[in-house]
Amino acid sequence: MEKGVKKYSQIMNFLRTPTPTLIGIYIAMMLLFSLASENFLVVQNIKGIFNSFAVYGIIAAGITIVMIGGGFDLSVGSTAGLAGIVSAVLIMDGIEIPTPYVFLIALAIGSLVGLINGLIITKVGINPIITTLGTLAIIRGVCYFWADLNPRIANVFVQNLGRIYLKNVFPITTVYIIVAFIILSLILKFTRFGRDLFTIGGNENLARLAGIPVDRVKIISYVISGFFSAIAGLLLISQLGSGRPEYGTGAELEVLTIVVLGGVVVGGGKGNFLGVFIALVIIQTISNGMVLIDVPVFLRMVVKGALLVLVIAIDAIRSRRHLLLY
Amino acid sequence: MAENGDAGIGKKRHIKINNTVILFIILAAMFALSSYFGRPFFFSKLNLIPMINNLSFIGIIAAVLTMLMVAGEIDFSIGGNIGLTACLTAVLLESGLPGWLVVIVALLAGAAMGAFNGMLVTVVGVNSIIATIGTMFIWRGIGYTLTNGESRLAMNPVVDYIGRGFVFKIIPFPIVLFIIIFIITYTMMNHSKWGRKIYAVGSNPLASFLSGINVKKVKFIGFLLCGITASLSGLILTSLTAVGMPQHGQGLELVIISSIILGGTALGGGKGTILGTLAGVFILSVLYNFLTIMNVYYFYIQIVQGSVLILVVAAYEIRQSMAIKRV
Repeated sequence: MEKGVKKYSQIMNFLRTPTPTLIGIYIAMMLLFSLASENFLVVQNIKGIFNSFAVYGIIAAGITIVMIGGGFDLSVGSTAGLAGIVSAVLIMDGIEIPTPYVFLIALAIGSLVGLINGLIITKVGINPIITTLGTLAIIRGVCYFWADLNPRIANVFVQNLGRIYLKNVFPITTVYIIVAFIILSLILKFTRFGRDLFTIGGNENLARLAGIPVDRVKIISYVISGFFSAIAGLLLISQLGSGRPEYGTGAELEVLTIVVLGGVVVGGGKGNFLGVFIALVIIQTISNGMVLIDVPVFLRMVVKGALLVLVIAIDAIRSRRHLLLY
Repeated sequence: MAENGDAGIGKKRHIKINNTVILFIILAAMFALSSYFGRPFFFSKLNLIPMINNLSFIGIIAAVLTMLMVAGEIDFSIGGNIGLTACLTAVLLESGLPGWLVVIVALLAGAAMGAFNGMLVTVVGVNSIIATIGTMFIWRGIGYTLTNGESRLAMNPVVDYIGRGFVFKIIPFPIVLFIIIFIITYTMMNHSKWGRKIYAVGSNPLASFLSGINVKKVKFIGFLLCGITASLSGLILTSLTAVGMPQHGQGLELVIISSIILGGTALGGGKGTILGTLAGVFILSVLYNFLTIMNVYYFYIQIVQGSVLILVVAAYEIRQSMAIKRV
């Protein structure tokens, strides 16, 4: 009798999370787009959608960690761009540093940016949004140091990194994302770090009083975000076939939409990767769907912005902030 | 630090050497350096007029945005607003509407954008930072859609006067606008009931609400005014460049918000003066004008813009923590 009650309340609790709504939205959208365009439900197209998860999904992995801890990272797009162009330059014909070292350098760059962000935010005490806005501009500027070179990716391994399909069906990039999400979910659930992160996001002062090394945890979360941004940068140059300084521009917008839609609260303390994954699928499907039903290019930008506003509006209403009196 | 409008503990003996004075000293130093390194070009009409125009159109937005930031909110969508206004102006002029009507429509569009932002923040309750980042993309996207991504010519006697007209044959119109708006905002903030309300709302929204101040109305009107002024600046920019490009105003948020924070306005609200913003706008305008004359690559200037933002806020935070330690 008691076991039955416990199962029932567990199910009810799960239904109250954003996840089932997201699944519902996804099914509705799939129906809509398959009706609107006969090219939608084709295997080729679905494979393409899944492959487009790559960059945004990896960035979302990192940014979710930061946001659960109450932080914010707007510099992810620029960091990805920097890691991308530096890697592209290093494997260029004239220089040709061995690929494994290039990867290490890229990851180091991303982690370094994350470290700088984390240090400025915790030690100097600047608002994360302002800090990462500044870092976004600085790093984007740095990307242009190599603007006159025009590295093309001739390296086969790097080319395959973002483009192979396992068994010709499943894009390898989706595997990366799923693996990353699973590892991070496990970290969040079963390690001290993960629990501390949720506590800090919920109430930072309380966490401090409880003895949690808040600064250290936050810095690590920003390093993780930078790390994943670097991976995303590598995937970018792999999928696009060259290294340009403007890669990654505007990624923050899409990733923010995905992450907030996925149930990660902006103040921190709540969020799970299943929701983020489903949100990723939804947003990318919408992007793809818009192309298929021939929505003009610029209108898509409006839709993306409108989606973000819609998603955060829903988040605000869900958190009952619209009921505040002041 | 007894700044004008500060509701803090006053140490009277520091009242003369306050932050605004320091800022003006920095400004004088920068001006001197720039005129030395940039000679003889710096003082020529060819450089001074564009610099004054740039300063005006940044300053107009900055002055009004200061009022919003003191109230505790922020508006990142000003850049997108400018892009949209520019494209809207160009498209409307092409379709044959008279210049003065286009100006009115553009300002109304700005009001609509400001109102939308205001509603998102006050009625729906979204965090103003994220809300305005989102609307920034929407506005700019609409701008792109209006002109299909191209730059459209925007030439018309009325519109041209806004950016390139001269009052009394020597004073550029933009700076006249800036002076007018500066005087209005200065009077509002320092000598009116509305200004006191803004400071109150920024320092302590709950106490203000309990004292009978309609906090939501104060914030909403702040957003509305920001929207209108951003459109005005958009008109100035369109007039100065004679085209309506959807890229107009890109990256402007960084400069404007930096100059406001440089001027002493706190991010959380409650502190800040129009005079300080004026100093901040001057300093950054001279700085960026100098970098442009020295032919620094645009994206390197972006590095400077980002660094300035971080340094400015860092300086503010460090000063804050030093003040707390002193108490």
